[in-house]
Amino acid sequence: MKIKNIITLILVSLVIVGFSLAQIIMSPEQYSMTERRVLAQRPELSAEQILSGKFMSQFEEYTLDQFPMRDTFRSIKANASRSIFMRKDNNGFYYAKGHLSKLEYPLNDVKIENSISKIDEIYKKYLSKTDCKMYLSIIPDKNYFLAPQSNHIAMDYDLLKNKMCDNLRYLEYIDIFDKLSLDDYYHTDQHWKQENLKELSQYLLTSMGMPADQTFKENLLEKPFYGTYYGQASLNIQSDEMHYLTNDTIDSCAVTSYSTGLPKQGFIYDFNKANGKDPYEMFLSGSEPLLVIENPSSASNRELVIFRDSFASSLTPLIISNYSKITLIDLRYIQSSILDNFVNFSNQDVLFLYSTLVLNNNISM
Amino acid sequence: MIFSSIPFLFYFLPITVLLYFISPKKLKNAVILLASMVFYAWGEQKLTILFAGSILLGWIFGLLIEKANKTKLRKVFLCFSVLVNLGLLVYFKYTDFFIMNFNKVFGLSIPLLRLTLPIGISFYTFQILSYTIDVYRGDVPAQKNLVNFAAYVSSFPQLIAGPIVRYSDIAKQLENRTHSIDKISRGIKRFLLGLGKKVLIANTIGEICTLFRESNDISILYYWMYAISFTLQIYFDFSGYSDMAIGLGKIFGFDFIENFNYPYISGSITEFWRRWHISLGSWFRDYVYISLGGNRKGKGRQLFNIFIVWMLTGFWHGAAWNFILWGLFYAILLTVEKLGFKKWLSKHRLVGHLYVILAVIFGFVLFNANDLSQVAGDISGMFAFGRLSFVSNESLYYLRSYAVLFILAIIGATPIPKTIVASVSKNKVGNTILTVAEPIALIAILLLVTSYLVDGSFNPFLYFRF
Repeated sequence: MKIKNIITLILVSLVIVGFSLAQIIMSPEQYSMTERRVLAQRPELSAEQILSGKFMSQFEEYTLDQFPMRDTFRSIKANASRSIFMRKDNNGFYYAKGHLSKLEYPLNDVKIENSISKIDEIYKKYLSKTDCKMYLSIIPDKNYFLAPQSNHIAMDYDLLKNKMCDNLRYLEYIDIFDKLSLDDYYHTDQHWKQENLKELSQYLLTSMGMPADQTFKENLLEKPFYGTYYGQASLNIQSDEMHYLTNDTIDSCAVTSYSTGLPKQGFIYDFNKANGKDPYEMFLSGSEPLLVIENPSSASNRELVIFRDSFASSLTPLIISNYSKITLIDLRYIQSSILDNFVNFSNQDVLFLYSTLVLNNNISM
Repeated sequence: MIFSSIPFLFYFLPITVLLYFISPKKLKNAVILLASMVFYAWGEQKLTILFAGSILLGWIFGLLIEKANKTKLRKVFLCFSVLVNLGLLVYFKYTDFFIMNFNKVFGLSIPLLRLTLPIGISFYTFQILSYTIDVYRGDVPAQKNLVNFAAYVSSFPQLIAGPIVRYSDIAKQLENRTHSIDKISRGIKRFLLGLGKKVLIANTIGEICTLFRESNDISILYYWMYAISFTLQIYFDFSGYSDMAIGLGKIFGFDFIENFNYPYISGSITEFWRRWHISLGSWFRDYVYISLGGNRKGKGRQLFNIFIVWMLTGFWHGAAWNFILWGLFYAILLTVEKLGFKKWLSKHRLVGHLYVILAVIFGFVLFNANDLSQVAGDISGMFAFGRLSFVSNESLYYLRSYAVLFILAIIGATPIPKTIVASVSKNKVGNTILTVAEPIALIAILLLVTSYLVDGSFNPFLYFRF
C-alpha cells in the first residue's frame, strides 16, 4: 500500500467531512458585507417543496451562499484566476495600475436609447415649455482612463457621447472627460474622489454661467475606505482614504429628503452611513429618490435641478455656493410621472448629470 | 444532481460513502440503489417513476428471455423489451422532431408535445438494451436479484452521462467486488482530476462560446476561437465527467471501462472514434453495426451499414438535423478512410493529425449549432477573408485573457502530463517527491474547484442534454 494513497485518502476525507460538518454546525449569515447582498437561507423542507423541485434549487443556493469561509474561497478563485490562469478579468473585475475596476463593455445600444427616451420624456413633459436652461454632462467611468493603459476592453465612449448629444440637441453639452484623470477615482470603488473635484466643479459652474469662487477645507474620514469593487472583486489591495470637503456655505445648507414621500431631514455628509456597508453613501446619504438642498447664504435666487446618479452625491456640495436651492432627482428610485408633486419646473438651471455606467445600464425605474 | 456541485461534494458524497462502508456486504448494492434514486430524483422529481419503471421492465424481460424455452418466444420478449425501451426514448426525445418535420413536409400544424426529456434516458436506455440483448444472445445470465439489477442501471456514478457500462462488464462485480484503501485512493485521484478538468478548464473555456454568441464585435479570429474553445470544452467536460464516474466507481469497488483515450492525438478519424466516447462507439458497433451484418456481407453493404450506424450515432446525441449531419459527416470521412485514405494517412502522420484536428473542429461547429443556418454562418465566418476583419478588439482581448488556459487545455488534451508524471516516478527521488506532491496537488484541486463553485461560475454539463 503506497503511503501517498493513505495520505490522499485521509486529507481528502478531512477536507470534505470538515467543510460538510462546518456548514451544518455554523449558523447561517443573513447578509454579505463584501458582496453587499442578502444571502440565501436554509429552505423549508416539505413534500410540496420537494415535488416541485424548489427545495433542491433553494438548497443549492443555500449551500453556495452559506459555505464556510465563503469570502476566502472567493478570494482564492479571484487570485487563481489572476495569478495562475493569467486571466485579464475575473467575473468582469480586474486589477490594474493600482485600481480595481469592472469591465463596462460593450456599449448597450438598447439601454442608451432607453436613457435618451427617458430624458426626452422628461423634457417634453416638464421642460419644453419652460425657460429653464438645460445642460447635459456625462461622467466617464474609470475604464475610460484605465482600460487603454491595461489592455482591457471598454465601451466606445465617443459613440456614447455622440449618440447622447445628437439625440438630445436641446441640452447644452458640457464635456468633462478631459477634466478628469484616473487619479480622480478611488482605487477600490467606481466613484470619483470628492477632494479631486474642486476644479471640475468650478468648470461646471462657469459652463452654466455661474460664478465659481469657492474655497474648501479638506477633511479626512478616520477610517479606511473599502469601496464596492473591493468586496466584489475579492482581491486584497490597499484601502482608499476618504476625504470630504467643507466650508461655511456647505455647513449652513439644509437638506430635505423625500425618500418616503414625506419631507424629512437629510444630511450633506451622513456620518452614520460613513460607518455602514458603503461609506460612499456618506455623501448625501446615498440612494435617495429626491433631495432638496437649500442654501440660506446664497447671494442669488437661482435654482438648480439635477437629474443624477450616485456620482452627483459627492459633487453637489461643491456647486451649491451660488444656488439658493438644488433639487436632486434619481430616476432609478422615483417615477418621473409624479415629479411635479415635488418640483415646479420654471426658470431653473437643469443639469442631466449621468455616469457612463448608469447610461449604459438604466437611468430609470 | 451534478458531481461538480456543493450539495454533491459536501453532502451527498460523504453521506453515501459513510452509509456504504458501514453497511454489511449484502446491503451495499441496496445502499447504491437508494443513493442513486435520491441522486436522480434531485434533478428529476416526476419522471423518477418512469426511470424506476424502465428498470423494472428491463429486469422482468431479462428473466422472461432467459426462462423462455423456445427461440421464437425469446425473440418476442426481446422485441418487446427493445420496443418498450426505444419507444420511451423516441417518445420523449424525438416526437417533436418528427412532428416538426412532418408539419414542414406536409404543410400541417400538428401541435408539438414539448415533453421534458428525462435526465439520462439516452444512457440508461442503452444500458438496459445491452443487458436484454446480451441475455438473449446467451452472453450473460439474467440477473435474478432486482436490487442488483437496479443498482447496475441506476448506479449514480455513471447514471446520467455515462460511460455506458455494459452489464456483462460488471455482472461479477455486482455480486462480488473488492474494496481497498489503494483502490479508493485511486478512485479519489481520478475523481478529483475529472472534477478539475470539468470545473477549471471546461467551464472556464466554455465561457468563450457564450461570449462569442453574445458579441457584436465578430472577427475571423473570434470564429476560430469559438470553434477551438468548444472543441476543448466538450472534451474536458465529457472526459472529465467520465473520469469522475470511473473514479467514483472505484471508490465503490467497481471497474468501469475507459471512455476516452486522448482522442485529439489521433492520426485518422477511424482512430479518433476508437479514442472518443469509447463506450458509445463500441455499443453501436456491437449492437447495431454487427447486427446489420458488419463487414461480412460485402463492401457495399459494409458502407451502407457505416452510414446507418453513424446517422444513428448523430441522432442519439440530439433530435435535430445538425446532429444527424454530424454523424453523416463522420460516416463520409470513415468511408473515405476505408477506401484507402487511412493507408495514405498512416504514411503521413503530421498531415493526419492536422486533418483530424480540423475535421473534429468543423464537426463540433456543426454539432454545437442551434440550427443549420447557424452552421452555415459559423463555417463561412471562419473563412470570411475580405468580408470580415481578421481580428477585433474583443477577440484579441479574450485571446489574451484565455491564452494560458488554451495552452493548458491543449497540453492537457495530450498524454504529455501523464508521461511526465510517469517518468518522474521512475526514479527514487522523483517517487519521493510525488509521494508528497500528489496529495498536495489533489487537495489544491479540490480547494480550487470549491472556490470556483462557491463563486458561482458557469457550470453546465454538456452531455446532460443527450
